[in-house]
Formats: sequence, C-alpha cells, structure tokens
Amino acid sequence: MTRLIFAKILAACLFLACLVGGGLEMRGLRTYKESLVKGPGVTGTGRLSDYLPALKGSWGDTNLYFLDSGKPGGTALILGGTHPNEPSSIVAAFVLVEQALPEAGKLIVIPHYNRSGSTATQPMGAYPQFISIKTGWGEQKFRMGDRLANPLDQWPDPEVYVHYPSRQMLSNVDMRNVNRTWPGRADGALAERIGAAAMELIRREKVDFVVDTHGAELLYPVTNCIVAPDQGASIAQLAALDLTATEFEVHVEPSPAKFRGVSHREIADHSEAVPFLLESPDPFLDQPTGPKTEALELDGKDEFLLAAARRGLLFTDYDEKGKSMEERAGRHISVSRQLAAQWSLFNPERIVAFSCPGYAEFVANGLGPYFRDPAAAPEGSVVLE
Amino acid sequence: MFTHVAILLAAMAAAFALAKLAKLSTELSILAMALVGALAAGQGIPLRHLAEGSVAYLDICLIFVTATLFMNVVKEAGGIDYLVRKVFIRFHKRRAVLLVILMLLMLIPGALTGAGSVSVLVVGGTVALVLRGLGLKDEHVAAMVFLLAGLSAVAPPVNIWAMITTAGTAIPYVGFELPLGIPVLALGLFVTFYYGMRGEARDLGSVLATMPEPPAGMRAWRVGAPFLLLAAFIAVPRIWPFALPTLGLPIGFAASGFLAWALSPRKIDILRLSRETMDQLLPLLGTCIIVGILLQVMTLNGVRGLLSLSIISLPTVAIFLLLPVAMPLSEGILTFGGAAVFGIPLIWTLNSIGLNPVPALSGLSLLWMLGDALPPTALIGRLTVQSTGYAGRYWSFVKSCWLPWLVITLTGTLMVVFSKQLGALVL
Amino acid sequence: MASVITLLYYALCVYIAAFLALGFARTRDWQKAALQLVVLLPFVLRVLRLK
Ligand SMILES: [Zn+2]
Repeated sequence: MTRLIFAKILAACLFLACLVGGGLEMRGLRTYKESLVKGPGVTGTGRLSDYLPALKGSWGDTNLYFLDSGKPGGTALILGGTHPNEPSSIVAAFVLVEQALPEAGKLIVIPHYNRSGSTATQPMGAYPQFISIKTGWGEQKFRMGDRLANPLDQWPDPEVYVHYPSRQMLSNVDMRNVNRTWPGRADGALAERIGAAAMELIRREKVDFVVDTHGAELLYPVTNCIVAPDQGASIAQLAALDLTATEFEVHVEPSPAKFRGVSHREIADHSEAVPFLLESPDPFLDQPTGPKTEALELDGKDEFLLAAARRGLLFTDYDEKGKSMEERAGRHISVSRQLAAQWSLFNPERIVAFSCPGYAEFVANGLGPYFRDPAAAPEGSVVLE
Repeated sequence: MFTHVAILLAAMAAAFALAKLAKLSTELSILAMALVGALAAGQGIPLRHLAEGSVAYLDICLIFVTATLFMNVVKEAGGIDYLVRKVFIRFHKRRAVLLVILMLLMLIPGALTGAGSVSVLVVGGTVALVLRGLGLKDEHVAAMVFLLAGLSAVAPPVNIWAMITTAGTAIPYVGFELPLGIPVLALGLFVTFYYGMRGEARDLGSVLATMPEPPAGMRAWRVGAPFLLLAAFIAVPRIWPFALPTLGLPIGFAASGFLAWALSPRKIDILRLSRETMDQLLPLLGTCIIVGILLQVMTLNGVRGLLSLSIISLPTVAIFLLLPVAMPLSEGILTFGGAAVFGIPLIWTLNSIGLNPVPALSGLSLLWMLGDALPPTALIGRLTVQSTGYAGRYWSFVKSCWLPWLVITLTGTLMVVFSKQLGALVL
Repeated sequence: MASVITLLYYALCVYIAAFLALGFARTRDWQKAALQLVVLLPFVLRVLRLK
C-alpha cells in the first residue's frame, strides 16, 4: 500500500516536472520576440492584416517591410519563414530588412510569413528551440519553428485537406502548411487566410514577382534550385546560368502543373505576378542525420549525411565543410538579386534593383557583421518580430 | 559518431529487455527505453522533449477515444445485438453475399479515416459476432478482422502512411486511388473467402439462441440514425469541403455517440461508460503517446538518423529483400512513425533510381499494415483481440494469418519492385 | 463557427483529462497509475495551451 502511494507520488512528480518544466520552456519559445533593426533602406512598415482584416489579432498576422527606392519601377515581394524550420530563409529576410538598399522600384519583405509556425517546434522533431548567430555586439537570436502553423492557432486538422479552389486532396496536416494554402480563402482556416491576405497584397501592391525562400533536404531531388512556372522559366534560367558561372551551382526546376497549393503554382495561376521558389540545401532537415542540434543547423556538418554522400545518395555536393548558414542564407539573397536583374532586362518599364550583401560576403565575413545592434540602433528603428 | 549512436541504440534495446524482465508493461518498457536513450546521450531527463513528443499523436488519440465511446454507447443501447440479428436472419443462407457485406463494412471506416483501428473499434465486434455465427474458429475470426482492418487503413481515399510520406517528401497525395484500391479489394476478397468459407454455418435457431436479445424498444432507425449522422460528418466535408469549417472526426464521433445515447431504449449512464471506455483504451493511448516520446528521443540522440541511414545505404536488391521484414517491424515498434523514419528517405532513394513513388508507397503501406500485429505496440492486433472477444493465445491468432500475410507481403514487395511498370495505374 | 469547434475540442480534452486523473487517483496498480499520467500529459498541455 505504501509502495503504491510512493510510486504514485513519484509518477506525479515526474508528470508535474514535464508539465511545468517542459511547458514553461515551450511557452518561452511562443513568447520570445526577435529584435530586428530597420535598415536605411526601409521606408515603411505594414501588417499582413492590412490586406485582410480577418487576420487582425491572430497569430497569422505578421510584419511587412517596404523598401522603396522612390524611383519608378516594379515591385518584388520576398517571403521569409514560409517554413519556419528552414531558418536560412528567415535569416536572409532579416539581413534584407537591415541591409538592403533599393535602387529602383520597390521591395516588400516579410521575414515571418508563417509567424504562427515560428512559435512552436515540431513534435518528434527534437529541434533546438532557438538558434543564435554570433555578432560583434552579442548574439542575434532566432526562434526555431515548425514547418506547419502552430496547432494552438489552428485546430483541429481535417481527415484530409481539400485544397481550395482545386479540390485536390492533400495530407491532412498540410492544411497548416502555408505553402499548400495558396491562393487561400478569406473565410477559411488560419493558413488559408494567410494565403488570401498575401494574394490580396500581391494584387493591391501590384507585385511583379515573388521570391519564396526555403531550405530543402539533401536527399530531396529539388534542391540548389529555383522552382519557376512557365512565365518565369527564362528569367530563372538566365539567373541560374549567371550564378553558376560566377558564384555557385544553381539550376531551374519547372513548377509541376498538378501540384496545387504551392506558391510557385498558385501565384502564377491566380495573379499577374511571377513566383519563384528558392531551395537551398539544409542538412538539418534530412532524416538520416545525427542529433538535431543548433550547431547542425548553423554549420550543416553531419557525419551520417557524409556517409550518405559517399554512397552517392544525395542530390547535391556535400563534404566535411558542411552547408553553413552563411552559404544557405547567402544563396537566397544572391539569387533574389540576380532574379531582379534578369527580371529588369525582360521588363524595362518595371525594373527592380537593390544592393545587399549576399553569398560572397557571408562566406567571406560570416553573418555577424550584417546584423545591427538593437542597443545601438536609433530610436524607433527596432522592431520586435 | 557511428559507434556512439550504435551504442545508444544498444542501450535502448537493453533497457527495453530489462524493463520487460522486471515485469513492466509493454508501454512502460518503451518509456524506459526512451528515458535510457536520453540519459545515455547525456541529455539528462529532457523535460521539454518528453512533453513535446507526448503531443505528437494527440489527435489520433482523440479519434480513438471518441470512436470507442461512440461504439460502446451503440453496444450498450443494444444496437449491435439488433443489427447482428437482422443481418444474420436475412443473409444466413447466402454466405458469399454476407461475407462481401462484412468485408465492405470492415473496409469503409478505415478507408475514410485512414485508421484501421477505427474499423476494428466501430464494426470489428459486430463482424466477429456474425463470423462466429457462420461457424468460423476464434483464431480465424480474429485473423480476418485484423487483416481487413489493416487493409482498410491502406485503402483509399485516406492512407495515413502515404500521407505522412508524401507530406514529408513534397510529393502530392494524388493518383493513389487505383494503386491502393485494386490491391486492397483483391486482397480483401482473398482474405474474406480464405477464412470465410471455412466452418459450417450453424442453423439459424441455435445461433440466434446464443445471441443476446436486443431491448424491446429497439428499432432500425434508432440504430441507423447515429451511423447516418456519422456518415454525414465524414461525407459532407468531402462533398462540400468549403461550406463548413474543419470539423474533424472526433466531433463527428462525439455527436453520433450523443445521438445514440439520446435514442437508446435503455438508460445509459454516460459517466460510467466513459470511465470504462478510458480504462479499456488506456494501453492503446499509452502506446501512441509513448511512441511519440520515443521517436522524439530517437531524433534527439541520433538513433533515428542511424536507422534511416542504414536502410537507404543498402544496395537496391538488399533493400527489396529486407522490406518484407523491416517495414512490418518498423510499424510494430514505431507505428506510423515508421513511415516518417524509413518511408521518407526510402521514397527519395527509390525515386532516384527511377521507381514511381506512388505504387511504391502503396506497396510499402501494405507492408506497414502487417506490422500492426507485431509487438511491442501491436496496435491493431491488440484492439482486435479486445473487440472480437478472442480468448486464445495472441500468437496463435497471428499464426493463423500466415497465408494471407505471405500473399500481402508478396503483393506489397512486388508493387515496390515493379512500381515503374505499375505507373500506368497512377491517373 | 470555427472557434466554437475549436472550443469543443478543448472541452473534449478536459473531459478526457478528468477521467484520466480520476483513474490515476483510484487505481491500485502502480503501472496503471503511471500510464494514466503519461496519457494525461498531452491533454493537459493542450488544455493549458502550452503545446
Ligand atoms: Zn520549405
């Protein structure tokens, strides 16, 4: 009898420890705010809910940054954090907001397109909750999120997700995947509303092209690439040729006509804008890796993947040097710059041009120098993301 | 790294064995395995990871609870007794027709929900009663219910293994109707007649005498209405997907259960029944939640990566030879987690040598389905025993699955090997 | 409407959690008691909106 009571007390203690200890740690991620310093290129800010009031007050609402050159031209929308567990995308968007200088036309940057998803890590994923990049002034700390929107913000999931408007059936959890909910539904679930708001933004701001940045597994055939629909194929081809000749290998994959809900398909089909989806190889995402640590996310070095590479199983080159965050985030910015340049050649009346440190600079100097110190920033320029 | 992680894997296996020796239940032994996996990796007791892993299968658990509660209400109300009686009186002379009806009854709930367990929980008990009436041996009843439930989970439109893998590999979940539907129907008929044609049907009178009498006020509509409501909850979101917000199955089961309770000719104490249902389901819920924790720890310490690397590193022929054993085992240990650990890298690897992922994945899910009878989790196997009232030894029912098991294994493996040639089935 | 459904799901979790807690208090089998708590954990985490 006493043994029973003892066992029950012990079990209850463990239970409470998991509930309180684990719960508080997860709460810490949910409530943590990253600081972002608006760079000299930023001319205005907005919220995604400006384009769909139904998002206001929800975790789907998120910050937009306008970088307007004041010179006539086109508009580009750059999405970071579509999949918050692919943080090179968020890191690149932060650097764009802090460092990019628009030279023609206008840039709109969304660092956390899926803000809800950035507030929880994936069950069974065993992710670290944060990743920190060393800088001269301390650490720039980012939330490590999940691929999907947080179930605390969108629950329950259906048995099968029927995509709007194509009615294609997708995996049930993909209803929380904001890269499966394009072009969205204004009165739908949270992820669908995010898609609808972004489509409205694209129409109202007359966005000419969209760049949606991602990380991809090395075992995934679509990596190191620009995914583009027919409308963007030649621009993407030329950008890829140029970059492959000068900086790093990148190739073009056509957007499959039958794959619904993804940005590179639906934006092309439902608006005038041309979408490009960038994949940079992220070892952290692969199944056959060692422990999922912050170091793996930052330097991309993994012995298991190296073994897989030696057996010829990977779809990209991979060696002891790994795939660093510098490389991966740098690719996103360099490819975006190059896409803007090619876009402008094809569309001289809608040119978009901007300068921003990218691949070469990050690989040479690390990412540290490209984050501004919030403590030393001018008043009113620090935004909590 | 390799040796380090291999040692962790060995430590976890040893922890499981020791826990079993110390007479711990299967569920707690898996938990011990997870805790040792974290401790040995130098992670201490990683509270956040334990908490996070526990949530992984929360939604599946909600389906289990509400589906079982629904069925228990119907049973308590006398609806099952009524139904079995009617079906038996009507069809006892036309065995083949009756068998096909039973097969479809078993296949539909799992096909629509993706969970074979729902088939077992919702209709397994009823079907078992009728099969006994047809003179089937207890092992054969359990084997048939288990296999059909497994096939129902494989059946389109919802196949959770394929969905987990397609979502993880960015392959659209399309074109699975025929590659899943044709083998499921063919194998379903095979299983049904393989077991169903054995045994003499006892004469109507003596069978009816062994069946419990339904309560006096029971009518067809009282049994039918809750099932119709449930069918509406499943069908409406597919026919008019944009008319309503996401309802989810648990609400459908809960509402239908409530209706069955309201229509019952007997008074049902819902609180007592809920308590009993939770008691009945505890091992199943525990297994799901603990497997979530286990997978989180395996990811944390690198064991998951090692396992997934070892399978894709094999030469293609060796992969094919290993599939019939490794896939059911992975399901037995990790349930749906096996699809994530092995399915995702496997599909990419097979894709890169030119195989068509859709038939390949359909074949794999036939193999995974068998694993639901294997320990330590034996998810559907255990539910089958519970809901069919099978009283014999667990392994003798599994043994009596041997021929269909072999046929299903062969079908599944060949579908993977010849997935390129089967590409024509993908519409 | 969608938020009403979500609320129902939270209510369902509370209902289930209550029976698990009750089961934990009543059982005389320590293994069962431990298992009740393991199962209880995700339901409480969701109800408290921690995960
Ligand atoms: Zn992505």
